[in-house]
Parts: sequence; C-alpha cells; structure tokens
Amino acid sequence: MDSTQWERMQALFHQTADLPHGEQQAFLKSACGGDAQLMADVMAMLDADAREASVLDSSVAQVANQVLCEDSPPLAYREFGPYRVIRVLGEGGMGVVYLAERKDLGSLVAIKVLRDAWLSPARRERFASEQRTLAQLNHPSIARLYDADALADGTPWFVMEYVEGSPLTEYCTRHQCSIEERLQLFRAVCEAVQYAHGNALIHRDLKPSNILVKEDGAIRLLDFGIAKQLESLDASANQTLTGLRLMTPAYAAPEQIRGDRVGIHTDVYSLGVILFELLAGQLPFDLSNLTPAEAATIITEHEPGKPSSMGKLKSTVPGAASVGKIAWGDLDVLCLTAMHKDHQRRYRSVEALIRDVDHYLKGEPLEARPDSLPYKLGKFVRRNERAVSLTAAVFVLVVGMVVFFTVRLAKARNTALAEAARTQRIQKFMMNLFEGGDEAVGPSDSLRVVTLVDRGVLEAKTLNSDPKLQSELYQNLGSIYQNLGKLVQAESLLRSALEERKSVFGSDSPETAETLVALGLLRDAQGQFEEAERLVREGLDINKRKLSPNHPGIARATSALGKVLEDRGAYDPAIHVLEEAVRLQTPSGGPTTELAESLTELANSHFYSGHYAVSESLNKQVLAMDRQLYGERHPHVADDLINLGAIQYDLGHYVEAERFDRQALDITQSFYGKNHPATASALTILGRTLVSQGKIDEAAGMLREALGIEEQVYGKVHPRVAGTLNELGKIAQQQGKLDDAEADFSRMAEIYRSIYAGKHYYIGIALSNLAGVWVDRKNYGEAERLFREALQLYSETLPAGHLNVGIARVRLGHALVLDHRYPDAEPESLAGYEILTKQPSAPERWLQTARADLAQEYEASHQLEKAKKFRAELAQGEKRPPLVSAKN
Amino acid sequence: MQLPDSGKGNLSVQGDLLSPGAAAMSEERRALNDLFSLTYEELRRLASSVKRGDPSATLNPTALVNEAWLKLANSPHVGSASCLHFKRIAARAMRQLLVEAARRRNSHKRGGSEDVKFITFDESLAQAASCGKELLALDSALEELGRIQPRQAMMVESRFFGGLDITETATLLGVSEATILRDWRAAKAWLAHSLREAH
Repeated sequence: MDSTQWERMQALFHQTADLPHGEQQAFLKSACGGDAQLMADVMAMLDADAREASVLDSSVAQVANQVLCEDSPPLAYREFGPYRVIRVLGEGGMGVVYLAERKDLGSLVAIKVLRDAWLSPARRERFASEQRTLAQLNHPSIARLYDADALADGTPWFVMEYVEGSPLTEYCTRHQCSIEERLQLFRAVCEAVQYAHGNALIHRDLKPSNILVKEDGAIRLLDFGIAKQLESLDASANQTLTGLRLMTPAYAAPEQIRGDRVGIHTDVYSLGVILFELLAGQLPFDLSNLTPAEAATIITEHEPGKPSSMGKLKSTVPGAASVGKIAWGDLDVLCLTAMHKDHQRRYRSVEALIRDVDHYLKGEPLEARPDSLPYKLGKFVRRNERAVSLTAAVFVLVVGMVVFFTVRLAKARNTALAEAARTQRIQKFMMNLFEGGDEAVGPSDSLRVVTLVDRGVLEAKTLNSDPKLQSELYQNLGSIYQNLGKLVQAESLLRSALEERKSVFGSDSPETAETLVALGLLRDAQGQFEEAERLVREGLDINKRKLSPNHPGIARATSALGKVLEDRGAYDPAIHVLEEAVRLQTPSGGPTTELAESLTELANSHFYSGHYAVSESLNKQVLAMDRQLYGERHPHVADDLINLGAIQYDLGHYVEAERFDRQALDITQSFYGKNHPATASALTILGRTLVSQGKIDEAAGMLREALGIEEQVYGKVHPRVAGTLNELGKIAQQQGKLDDAEADFSRMAEIYRSIYAGKHYYIGIALSNLAGVWVDRKNYGEAERLFREALQLYSETLPAGHLNVGIARVRLGHALVLDHRYPDAEPESLAGYEILTKQPSAPERWLQTARADLAQEYEASHQLEKAKKFRAELAQGEKRPPLVSAKN
Repeated sequence: MQLPDSGKGNLSVQGDLLSPGAAAMSEERRALNDLFSLTYEELRRLASSVKRGDPSATLNPTALVNEAWLKLANSPHVGSASCLHFKRIAARAMRQLLVEAARRRNSHKRGGSEDVKFITFDESLAQAASCGKELLALDSALEELGRIQPRQAMMVESRFFGGLDITETATLLGVSEATILRDWRAAKAWLAHSLREAH
C-alpha cells in the first residue's frame, strides 16, 4: 500500500461508512471500478468500523495491566545463585524485594531485583548506584549489603540483610513508647544518617517506612534507592529523575520539591518531619487528597504548627502529658529548627541535631534556642565534619573505588560470562574489605590498607581489556601508595597509568595531565624537585589549555606546583603560585579541604621565608577553617597547631610552642590512640620543643616512644624512623652520649641511603649531623671527611645557595677552626656566612658561629680590618634578641 | 534545551530510547530516557496498587502523563518544552514501554532462559500473552501507517498511548478537530483490520 492508495481507501471509506449497510457494497462496486483488492480492503475497514472490537477500543490502561501487571510476582524468579526465594517482601517502581534463604546455611536475607532491567540504562544505573551506596556503608543501624550478581539474562540483583521489624512510627505506637524512648530511637536514626553523611552520602528519602525497628529495639535504615553521593550534586538529569520518585512528599524538603540543590540539610529536614510525627502523633501537614501541585505549595510555603499544639500524642502516650511546658517548648524548637524552610537556618548537621537531642535528654539548654541560634554565630559546619581518620578515609576511598569500577565494569561488559566472573571476583574482593568494620583505626589498620591496595593492584593488572579503567585504577592506587609512603610501588603504577593514558586519551588530555601532576608530586616526595616541577608544569599547561578556567583541575595542579616550588626552596615563586591557587579555590560557599590545604602550603612558604607574622595569620585562618570543616578534635586541627607551634619555636618562644605542641599531641593521641604513627610525629615535635627548653630527659623519653611506634608500624627502614633518629641523635649529643648520637645519625644516614638510592639531600643532613659528633670528639679529620661528603651530596641535589649548604659549610669551617687550620677554614666559613646572610631566616646560632670563626681566621692571617668587622657583627648579634630574623 | 519539534520525524521509534551505552547521550536523549523511566515507574506503581485492590488507583494514562508533567515541569531540560510536546513524548515512551514489555513476554513464552525458573499462573499468562501479541501487531501496523501517513500514525499514538483528547491532538498536529475525528475513524478501522489479519 502506498499513500495514494491509502488516500483513495480513506476517501471511499468515508463516502461509504455512513451509508445504510445494504447500499455500501453496490456503491463500492461502482466506485472501485473493478479494483477487487481496493474494494476488499475498504470492505474490511467498514467491517472493522462496525465491530468496534480491536485493541484500540480498549483503554491503554487495560493493555498495560495485561502486559505489565500479570508477570510479577507470579512470573517471578525462584532462585538467585545460592539463595532460594521464600516470598515477596515488597515491590515498587524499581524492583521487587524477596525474602530468601541461603540454601547451604539457611540464613534469611532480602534480595532486591531490578525489574525489567532491559528497559533503560538509566534504571540500571540507579539500581547499581543503590548497590554501590550500600556497599560503601558499614554501620550497625544500616541494612548491610551481602552479595550481588546478575542473572544470565542480565537482570541485576543484590542481597541485603533481612530486617524483621516494624516501621518506626508503628513500633512506637504499638509499644506505647514514652517521649524519651521515642527520642532515643530517633537519636539512633540520626546516628545512622550521620554515618552516611560522613561517607558523603545523603539519603534523600528518609521516612518511617524506611526505618525499621526490630523487636529488641535496634533500628535499621533501609532503602538507599535515591541516595546521592555528595561529590556529584551538580544539577543533572539523574538528579531530577531520582527526585521525582517521591510519590508521597510528606517527608520531602522544600528544596526537593522545588528541584533545588539538595544536601545534608535535606536529610535534616526529613529527620525533623519524622521527629514531628513521633512527638505529635501526626504529620506536620495533611497532604492527603491534594494534587501534587497543591502539596508542593503547602510544603514550600506553609509554616507547620508546633508539635506541642497538635496534642494527639499527649492523650495516647504514657507520660506525655507530664512533660512540662518549657520542655515541650524545647521539643518544638528541636523539630522546627530541623524543619526550617530556609535550609541555612536548620541544624547545620545531623550531629548538631543529635547534640540538641542530648541536651534535651539531659535537661540542658538547647543550642538551637532562639537566643543562641547557631546560625547567628555563623558557624559553618561542613558535610564531612564527622571525624574520619586518614586511614579510614583511604580505606573508604579504596573501597569506593573498587565498587565504582566494579559497576563501571558491569556496564562495559558486552559478553556476559568472562566479564561477569571478573566482576564477581572484584565484588567478592570488595565484600571482603568490609569484614571487620572500618571505624577502628591504628597501625594494624594502616597495614591492612596496604595489603588491601596490593590486592587492588593485582586485580587491576587483570584488566588489560579495558585500558581506560585500568589506567584510572593505577592512577588512584598509585596515589594511595604514595600517601602510605610506598614510593617505589607508587612510581611503577603512576608510570603505567601515564603510558596507558597517553595512548588512550592522548598526551594532551586532562587525564594525562592528572597523572603528570600525580607523578610530579611523587617526584617531589622523592626529593627530585626539578623533575617534579617539570611534570607538574606540564600537567598544569595541559589543564589550562583543555579545561575551562574555573575547572578544579587547574586549581589542583596550581596548588601542586606551589607545593613543589616550596619544597625545592623557591619560596617567592611558591608564594605567588599558591596565592593563585587560593584565589582559584576560594569559592562562594565557604571553606573546602582543598582550599585549606593550599592555604597551609602558603603559610609554610611564608614560614620558610621568615615571614612569621604572615604565616601565623594564615595558619590561624586555616585552623579556624579546619575546625569548621572537621570539628575541634581532628588531626587536621592538630597539624595546624603544630604549624603554629613551629612559628613560636622559630621565634624562640618555646613556652608558647610547647603549649601548641601539647594540644596537638593530645588531639592526635585521643584520635588515633597511643600506637599510631601520627601520635609518634606529635611526640617527636613536642620532644624537639622540650629539648630547646632544656627538658632533655622528658624529651628523650618522648622521642624513644615515638621511635618505637614508628619502627613497629613502618619497619626499621623508613623516612619517619630516620627523622626521629635525627632528633634522638641531637639529644644524645647534647647529653654528651656521643656513642648513642653516632649510632642514631649513622642509622639515619643508612636509612636515607637505602630509600633514596644514595641521592637525596636528607642523606647530607644525616652526614652533617654525624660529622658534628666527631667534632665533639675532637676528631676533626673524620668530621671534615663527613662534612665534605655531605656537601658533595648537597651539590648534586640542592641549589648552591640553599640554607643546608650554608649551615654545612659554616660547620665545616668551624671544625677546621677548632683544628687550627685557619686558611682551610676561611673559604668555608665565608661561603657559609654569605649563603646564610642571603637566607630569609637563617639560624642565628650558625650565623654567630660563622662570625666568630671568620674573626678568628682573619686575626690568624692578620687581616685585622676584616676581623674587626666580624667581631663587631658578633657583638651586635649577641645583643640582638634571639627571635629577630637574621635579615635585619 | 528544546524537546524535539513535532513533524520533523526525529522521534523515530527504532530503539534509540533503549540503546544502552550511548556514550555521548544528548540532552534530548537524556530527557527522553528520564521521561521513559518515569512513565515506566509511575505505571508500575499504579499497576501494583491496582493489583493490591486499592480502589483509588486507576491505570489512567491521562492522569499519569499529567502527573508526570507536573513533576518534570521544573526540571531544567524539560522546563522550556510545552506540555503538549511533553505529552507526545510521553505517548511515545508509553508505546515503546508496552511494546518492549510485550516483546519480552513473547520471547519468554517461546523458551526463555534455561536457568530461570518461573512460577506459572497459566490463566493470566495466557491472557497477557494474547494481549501482548495484539499489541505487537498494533505496533507493526502503526509502523506501516507511519510510513504512508506519518501524521495519522502520530495521531493514533498520541490518542491511544498518550491519552490526548481530540482538542489536544488537533492542536498538536495543527489540523481541525473534524479532521482528527475523520482520520481517527479511518485509521482505527484500518488498524483493526490489519490486526485481525495478523492473527
């Protein structure tokens, strides 16, 4: 049939359709003029028209009912891997949840299956996202993920903890819970939500039916189906869609209804509604029988009443009526603060909400009472405020990554079997990571992270068929290795990543740039500054060409460049670059971790330049920022205190320095425990300050404790061990225990030699300090040999004018003076002196040594004018208070 | 971002909507995908409440599409599209959804996969299968009509799958309501005839 024929057929159909039935055939016969087919077709149409019985006459609803409804659960699955289905627990838009038992163990589980997985990639992605989310969470009050796989037809499923319990509100009603019991349950819910927030996840669909209470009173948070990873909060189609899932908006925050950005505050709102319902026995708004548009208006515009004025509960709950008026007032404030329409005026975190619940339970005044509303203080609490240790963070990162890539892998697979096996293997691996919890921190855990990363690398190596994925894994695992101090492993992975990314994405791609920067930072850690700078600059240039000016990749690379410049001692350029990084990272929204890090590096550069006042004010800024970001007692805060202490130390204010260092130690110790490397560092730093105050014995005790921890955690050969040996050596030397000092410095040198393959200025520092021991022993020949070896190393690794070179030359000169070899001493002392005077902040002690020696040398060679000049400077230096920078 | 304009034929039914892994998914495609998922899930939800015997739930596509529109109207990539265009796309999504479901149903019935064990409820299965078959036949007849007279095919799709009324359909296609009524009757008669032949 073509369109001309169809036009004719239609024309004839319309002409005939309304004729009396008996006349139609005759009319058509003459109209069709012998075209039998045409006549037959039109007759068939007329016949169909008269019958009115095709699918088109039924409603599409009936059709949908037939093809969609009748399959599930009747047409359901019975077995999933080792699990046998017992019954259907529930079904929703996304899928069906079954109660099942493990065939071998008989244990009960819940299995969630994505229904009609073939329908759209968007749905599969959402299902995978829920699985990913659950895998990330390991908390007693959050239903756990046990297993995941897909059926042969591609239908994905995952296995969760089966929770036998009733919804929160139902439980409270049935058990006639008192107000206090309700608050305790609510508090437990808050803790679970706060845990999710600590993992950068927002739930977005908190409601009593997603919170089950078991008969023993333990709660379980369920259904992370539309949970959102906070890093990807940009408006996206996905976000819009998932936001739509809410059919009953009773617990939805105004910003969710409006389609605005959601965040921690969204969950805080929903918790507020839940609390309202628990306290008042009814919801804040009656949305039944409203259209979605009407409901939206109410949620976004109407103010809720006070829970105390609803009063439904007072008549039904034992003891509720006896809650006093002031106490009810507090409960009203608690609810309504959490539910504030303006999210900026809600509790800034679930933790803040918990604090006020606790205040209420203890009868203390609330923080959210209008006269002391926290927003007035402008206290900005970040989403990640839950203190997460570095170890835990690395852990979460690794795990998150593995899960992420597992899902990516699942998406990428085209033929099922081989890939599915691999996916399953990685998933198993990922599951294993969760055994034993993620909260405990300490040496054993950091070690476990290493094994975990090692295993990740093995997995990654099998992924040759997917170079993009593989290179991404290499990149991330490499950076983790670096953070863990495993520089060799880091290097090999980052190199592989670089090669692969160059060939997959091109050498000019942002992906390649990312790896270049990471490799640059590795070189920086290895002390190869020129190479570090070259790599980071290359990455930065690519990013500047390929990315939009506001892209965080540019800021990140800029900050990295600043760090490299700082580490190589180019402080002025470092300050310039870091200021640029800070500018790029200063957002409208408040502090971020990356901004705090750049500011710290900037503060350090100023510190090394002797700009103590600037450095101090920057460090104080970072301290305030980190307190907002992480809370008062977080390791980052301890780091800031240590930096502030270092300034005081350099200024000679040892008492103040000690105060900062002790605070830092206290925080670190209580955060990580006694046997953690971070504790060891804090001990070392405090030890150093104590030495300067002459509290030698106390200092020695602390440093030995630190050394013990570090040897246990890192092994005997590690830069951290070497650093502590250096401090111990100095103390021993000061105490006159020269053999101990020699042993410490020698070990220090050996460690650096083996780690840095004989090429790092740290080795020079060790040798120079070792030489000092020989000076004390008056064995100037050995001292000279060691100083010269140190200087040789410096000349290969440091710029000629570096502070360390200056100090070593002064010290060499001094040894020669003590040995009465004035002519040999003079060039060393002079060169050292000149280098030191050019330093923004030279140690006064060595400057004075140089002056005294030079005076003596010139007196010996009868150059009295010169000698006089240095005598005068020496006298001047003695009068000068020790804290003034040598520049003046 | 504008949803596809009517009459340019860029809403071809061939698998676009469902093809997985399209790396650079256009905004438009994403809007369609969202819409598709949304329609599907709303339908699912309503379907299960119907099954539970919830009296207030009806599988009314018009209400469904209206509700979906209200929800999507605020989203950035749908906001600028008119409600009518939205409904037309929803109709397309609905058609595709139902046809795909019917196709799956059919293939399961023919053999299915070996390791999946189905609990069978013969009666309803048979019913669903016959309905599914009819739907598939309708789909291919509509395809054919679309080749000869695209406007008419779109009309059928909008009315049957999307629940647009005569006035809306006329506005959408830019013709009079009388034309819609005439076209609808002829198309319906022809399609019904085609379906019978397919059996």
